[in-house]
Amino acid sequence: MTDKSQDTARATDSPTYGWVRLAGYYWQRTRVNRLAVFGLAFILFLVVMALIGPFFTLGPTLVDFEQKNLPPAGFATEKSVYSTATGELTITRVPGDWKHPLGTDSKGRDMLAMIVSGARVSLQVGLLATGIAIFIGIIIGVLSAYMGRWVDNVLMRFTDVMMTFPFFLLLVLIIFIFGPSLAFIVLAIGLTGWTGTARLVRSEALSLRTRDFILAARAMGATGGRVIFRHLIPNVVSLIIVIATLSIPGVILAEAALSFIGLGDPTVASWGIVLEAGQSSLDTAWWVAVEPGIMLFLTVLAFNFLGDGLRDAFDPKSRI
Amino acid sequence: MKTGDNVVLEVSNLKTYFFTRRGVVKAVDGLDFHLRRGECLCLVGESGCGKTVTALSILKLVDSPPGKIVEGEIRYDSLDLVKCSSKQLRQIRGKEIAMVFQEAQSALNPVLTIGDQIMEQIMLHLPLERNEAQNRSMALLREMGIPSVERVMKSYPHQLSGGMKQRAMIAMSLSCDPTIIIADEPTTAVDVTIEAQILGIFRSLKEQRQLSLIFITHDLAVVAEIGDRAVVMYAGKEVETAPVSEIIANPRHPYTAGLIRCLPDISRPADRLVSIPGFAPNPVELPGGCAFHPRCSEGMPICSQQAPPVVELSTEHRVRCHLYR
Repeated sequence: MTDKSQDTARATDSPTYGWVRLAGYYWQRTRVNRLAVFGLAFILFLVVMALIGPFFTLGPTLVDFEQKNLPPAGFATEKSVYSTATGELTITRVPGDWKHPLGTDSKGRDMLAMIVSGARVSLQVGLLATGIAIFIGIIIGVLSAYMGRWVDNVLMRFTDVMMTFPFFLLLVLIIFIFGPSLAFIVLAIGLTGWTGTARLVRSEALSLRTRDFILAARAMGATGGRVIFRHLIPNVVSLIIVIATLSIPGVILAEAALSFIGLGDPTVASWGIVLEAGQSSLDTAWWVAVEPGIMLFLTVLAFNFLGDGLRDAFDPKSRI
Repeated sequence: MKTGDNVVLEVSNLKTYFFTRRGVVKAVDGLDFHLRRGECLCLVGESGCGKTVTALSILKLVDSPPGKIVEGEIRYDSLDLVKCSSKQLRQIRGKEIAMVFQEAQSALNPVLTIGDQIMEQIMLHLPLERNEAQNRSMALLREMGIPSVERVMKSYPHQLSGGMKQRAMIAMSLSCDPTIIIADEPTTAVDVTIEAQILGIFRSLKEQRQLSLIFITHDLAVVAEIGDRAVVMYAGKEVETAPVSEIIANPRHPYTAGLIRCLPDISRPADRLVSIPGFAPNPVELPGGCAFHPRCSEGMPICSQQAPPVVELSTEHRVRCHLYR
């Protein structure tokens, strides 16, 4: 502390001073990890694309059979054209153009528009379903750890059952019953995906519970709820951020997988749906399947890199 | 028991047992003491003798299971804390009886600022607005002799030194003007200079605010420094209760005498420091009779057969030993 007055002035600058400083600290620690920075950059790019992209692209549902199966710009494909005049089958070279930078699918829909709208769907599914799963996981994990005894037993055995339950089968069942709408897919993934979070949060909260500050909070006259929400949960936030980041790709993949086996919401152009539609025409129009595939791959990779980086940054034991 | 006036807390026949897989641990086994207004009562003993469990029992914070207060009364005001509902207890904890922990580092929530934590306690118990609570917290920190209070209010625990944290915690315990403060080895985790400062703070609190203190320690030097009366505990039982000056000058129980002999005397040369032979007993299988007899220098045949009764040597001096029957 060099100058006291300067110090206090800075401390009273804004009410979120402490938060900003803390975030800055963790950013410094995360920044060291290049892959994590790449991950974050890609995710930010995706978010921007999903938010404002649809204003700049053609409608993803705009069908134009004249323009079907156009390759991406810079690529060319060969197309056999049947000429009614000569009755001959001629093979012509069709180059991609910049009107459809990523080409078109078998119905002439713009691939770029579909990729952009797919990003929106994937992020929505990823964030919402993870949000639901994390929320349930925190509540169950913390309650289990804090209450202990039979509450712990009941909740953890329930978690075990949920864990052993074939998750995908459950998803298929839910979607079969309620119909393939995106809302139900999100809900189904969220309602089944909390078990790992609950376990991790529980183990963390169990060790926190024995710490003196929890006892101190009770000694100050705090109610159980206050101890849980103000003293326990804020201490597992770093863990939760890491779990959330690392579970988003799983969720995105789950939606893609559901779409791929034909259980996706047919009214939205999610990457999984496009991928599924493109797989049958891999020989004539490889880009229809490959493009959403690459996007899925990069997105999952980006979230995993970021999650790993955050985990290292939040771990007080790792000196980076 | 001589109660007299001004008794704010009276513990009688307190028994807190832990029911573990290996057997019943009688952590506190029939403890009696009282605390007067403006007095500092020291609970003295080795690790595991039940000092902390006594403190936690008073606030009914013993984890249950495995712990349970099986018997006894803890009289505060007109209430028996053992029988209080959890709602009543919550109103007493922090407001009437506050606690200071051994290690401020672990007793402060690492993700909340010092200011938030003090204000939380104030707003939990007193009908104050946020800014009033803030002013009160700052005044308390200033009273603890903390410099640049604004900065400390916005600091997280890890940003402060050990002494600062301990003072912040004392400020927190004082925030609702409690009648009693239970301090559980508050100077064990800090160095001697800070220890002196913290003891100074406690002494002035006692004198200026007429606060009653229950001071838990294993350090007889600290007892001599701050205590008015002391309860020496061994294996969950009181072995000797007396004014501190008498305990130091004229210990009657062999255990107390042994503890005092263990203090190094700088006026005499010594090759080795004195210690009490043996180890603290296994809490699941306490020796029969007087729990101290295997280590006692004055052991008699009766000591292993019969538990000694409490003998009142004077109105203020009680000892639990066969020597004084």
